[in-house]
Amino acid sequence: MNTLQRIQPPVFHIDTPTVPEVLSIKLDNNIPVYLIESGTEDIMRIEFTFKAGHVNEYLPLLASTTNIMLTEGSQNYSSVELNRQLDYYGSFINLSTEKDRAGLVVFLLNKHIEKILELSMEILFRPAFPEDELQALMKKRHRWFLVNREKVQNIAMDQFFESLFGKTHPYGRKVVESDFEGMTSALLKDFHEKYYTPENMAIIVSGKIHEKTTILLNLFFGKISSQKIYIEDARNRLKSFNKKRVHVPLPGALQSAIRIGSQTINKREPDYTGLKVLDSLLGGYFGSRLMKNIREEKGYTYGISSYVASFDLSGYKVISAEVSINNTQKAIDEIYKEIELLQNVPVEKEELTVVKNFMLGEIIRMFDGPFAIAESFKSVWEFGLDNNYYHRLTEKIKTIDSDEIITLAHTYYNVEDLYEITAGSK
Amino acid sequence: MIGYSKFTLDNGLRVLVHEDRSTPLIAMNVLYDVGSRDDEPETTGLAHLFEHLMFGGSVNIPDFDTPLQLAGGENNAFTNSDITNYYLTLPATNIETGFWLESDRMLGLDFSQKNLGVQKKVVIEEFNQRYLNQPYGDSILLLRPLAYKVHPYRWPTIGIDISHIEKTDIKQVKDFFYSHYAPNNAILSLTGNITGKRAYTLSQKWFGPIGKREVKTRKLPAEPIQSEERKLTIEKEVPATALYKVWHIGPRLSSDFFTLDLITDLLAGGESGRLYTSLVREKKLFSELNAYLTSDIDPGLVILHGKLMKGIDIRLADEEVKKVMDHLKKKITDIKEMEKVKNKYESSIVFSNTSILNKAVNLALYELLGDPEMINNEVDKFRMIDQEMVIETSRNYFADTNCSTLYYKSTKENK
Repeated sequence: MNTLQRIQPPVFHIDTPTVPEVLSIKLDNNIPVYLIESGTEDIMRIEFTFKAGHVNEYLPLLASTTNIMLTEGSQNYSSVELNRQLDYYGSFINLSTEKDRAGLVVFLLNKHIEKILELSMEILFRPAFPEDELQALMKKRHRWFLVNREKVQNIAMDQFFESLFGKTHPYGRKVVESDFEGMTSALLKDFHEKYYTPENMAIIVSGKIHEKTTILLNLFFGKISSQKIYIEDARNRLKSFNKKRVHVPLPGALQSAIRIGSQTINKREPDYTGLKVLDSLLGGYFGSRLMKNIREEKGYTYGISSYVASFDLSGYKVISAEVSINNTQKAIDEIYKEIELLQNVPVEKEELTVVKNFMLGEIIRMFDGPFAIAESFKSVWEFGLDNNYYHRLTEKIKTIDSDEIITLAHTYYNVEDLYEITAGSK
Repeated sequence: MIGYSKFTLDNGLRVLVHEDRSTPLIAMNVLYDVGSRDDEPETTGLAHLFEHLMFGGSVNIPDFDTPLQLAGGENNAFTNSDITNYYLTLPATNIETGFWLESDRMLGLDFSQKNLGVQKKVVIEEFNQRYLNQPYGDSILLLRPLAYKVHPYRWPTIGIDISHIEKTDIKQVKDFFYSHYAPNNAILSLTGNITGKRAYTLSQKWFGPIGKREVKTRKLPAEPIQSEERKLTIEKEVPATALYKVWHIGPRLSSDFFTLDLITDLLAGGESGRLYTSLVREKKLFSELNAYLTSDIDPGLVILHGKLMKGIDIRLADEEVKKVMDHLKKKITDIKEMEKVKNKYESSIVFSNTSILNKAVNLALYELLGDPEMINNEVDKFRMIDQEMVIETSRNYFADTNCSTLYYKSTKENK
C-alpha cells in the first residue's frame, strides 16, 4: 500500500543567489577587458561592444547597416572567405545593433583563439564596406522589412516606440521604405571611423580563460588607436506624443497586437529594483496576474507579458499581447483593471512570496554558466553599474512589502500616463 | 564526454542521470512517447492540446506552476510530431519539489471541464498567432499534406484545423491520458548538481508507486514511396514570393541520417553555405534561403525554403536551386569544405552541451531512440562521412520524383 504523502509539498529552501566576481583589466591602449572565469568546456564567449547604437546614427539604418556590413569583406578577406574561415574554425558569431550599443559576440573553441582573434580584428577594424555588397544588402533588408511590417506585433511595437520617444529621436523613429535608398559605402566608413574606436570599446570575456588569453587580446587589440576624436551631437531630444491612444490598421488581421506602457526610470535609479518586483507581479512571469487572468482564466490570448527595459537616456515599461479581434477591448479593460488592483489592494503575503522566490531562482539562473554570467554582467555594466546591482536586487526582493508595492504602483503605473497602442483590423 | 547512469523502475520508468557539479541547478526532463503522429485523423491537435492540460492541476495538486515558482523553479514544455516533452529547472536543494509535481501529474490529472474550455481557447489563439496571422504562417499547413498522403506527419502538431480543437471533449482527453501517459511510456532525465544515488532514491520514492499502464500500441500507416513530382501553386497577399521544396528521407535511425544532416550543412550551414553564397550573395535571386532536415523518428523530410528578390521569376529561382542540388550529385565536394562543416558540427555540439537543459532533453531523446550513448558518438558518426557518401546520398534522395514544391506567390508583386 502506498502511504506516500502527496498533498503537502516537500520542504524547500530559498538560498541567496551567489553573484560571481568579474575581473577587470586594461589593454595597453586602455581598452577595458572584463574576465569571467566559468564553465567546464574549453570554450569562450568574447563580446566586443561599442557605443555605436541607433542613438549615434545621423541617418536611419546607418548604425545597423554598418554593423551588418562588418563581415562583408575586409582589407585582407573577401566576404565569402571571411565567412568561410569563421565556419571552418567552428566559431559562431552574432552581430547586433541596439538602441545604445552595437558590436560582435564570438563563441569559439579555445584551440582556435589566435585565428579567431585575428579574424575579429579584421571584422571590427579593417572592414572594406564594398559598394556592391552594400547595395545587395540594402535590397535584401528592404525585402525583410516588407515581410516584417505585415506582422501586427512589429507594427504595434514600432508605433509604441514612436509614441514614447518621438518621430525624430533614434529611440522612436520608425523605419520607412525610403530609408533603404541612398546608403553609401562612404557613409558607413565615416560612421565606422567615428564610433568603432578603442575609446568607444570594451571586451567581455567569459568561459575557460587561459594565461595567454589576455596576452593575445593585447597583441591583436592593444595597439590600435583612433584616427580622430569625435564629439557627439547632443541635439537629439526625446519627445513623447501627446496623444496616448493610437491604432495602426492592418486590414484582414485576425488578431490585434496590444502594447500598453510608457517611459520609465532605468537601472540607475534606486526605485528600479522595486519596479522589477512590481512588474513581475503584474506580467513578468507565467504566474503573473495578467497571465492568470487573461490567458489562464479567460483564454483571450496565447500569451501576455510585461517587462521593464533600460536605455541609456531613458527606459520604458510595456505590456504586450496578441488577442483575437473580438476580445481586444475586453483584454485592454482587464489590463487596466489589474493595474488598478495593484494600486488599491495590498498584495497577499502568499502571492508576494511566490513572486519573490521565483525571482530569486531567476537570479540563480542568470548566473548559471559562462554565457549567462557575461550577459547579466553586461546588462548592468553598460549603465555604469557592476554586479553589486544584483546584491541590491536580491535585497529588495527579500525586503519589499505590500505597502511599497502600492506606493510603486501609484508612482509608476499612473493610468493617465500610459500609452495604448493597438495594431490590427478594427 | 557526457557521463551518465541509467536505471529502470519496476513500473517501467527509465531514468537517466548526468552529474555536473559546476552548476547550482538541476534540470529535470520528462519525455512521454506520444506526439501528434498518435493523433486520430478526426481529432488532430489533441496531443498538443493535452500538453496544455498538464498544467491545469493533477490528482493532489491543484496548480502545477505556483508550487514550482515558490521553490524558485521555472518550467515549460513542447510537443512535436513524435514526443511530448516537459522540463523544469530548480535550485539543486529544491529538486524534490520537481519530483513531487511531475510524479503527481503522471499519477493522474483532475480533468477539469473549465480548464479544458480555457485551454481550447488559448490553443485557438496560438493557432491564429503562429499560423494564420503571420505572412507565410500557413506554409507548413500546405506542405505537409503535399508531401504526406497517408502517414500522420501529414498534419502539423497544432492540428489540421481549428474545428478539431473546438470539438475535443473531456472523454477524449481522459482516454488519451490513460492510453499514452504512463511510467512505462516515459523517460525521466536529470542533469546538473545531483548524484546518481540521490536521483535513484527520489525516483523510487515519487515515481515508484505509480502503476504500469496499458499503453496503446502504435500502428501507423507507412507513407508509400512517392513516384512523381508534386507541385502546388497558391497566391496570397504576402509581400514577396516564396519557394518551398521538400524531399522525403529515411527514419531518424537510418544510416543516411547523418550524411543528409551534413548535406544540409553544406547547403545552408552558416553564411558560407552553398545556397547562400551562390543564390543570395552572388546571383541575388533570394533575400533569404535555408535548408534543414526534420529529425522525425519516422521517415522525415529535407525542407528548403526561401523568399525571392523583387522581380525574380519563381521558375528561374527553382531551376537555380536544382542546379545547386545537382552539383552535389555530380561534383566531388572539396575536402576543405567537408572539414568545415564537420568542424562546425562538432563545435555546435560542444556549445549545446554547456546547457544542462539541452543535455537533459538529449539524453531522454536518445534513450527513446534506443541508446543514450548516441549523445557521445554523434560527432564520430558525422566525422566518418566521406565525399562518396555525399554524392551517393544526394543521388538517392534529391530526385524530382521524390520532391514536393510549393510556389507561394505574392499577389502584391504581380499587380
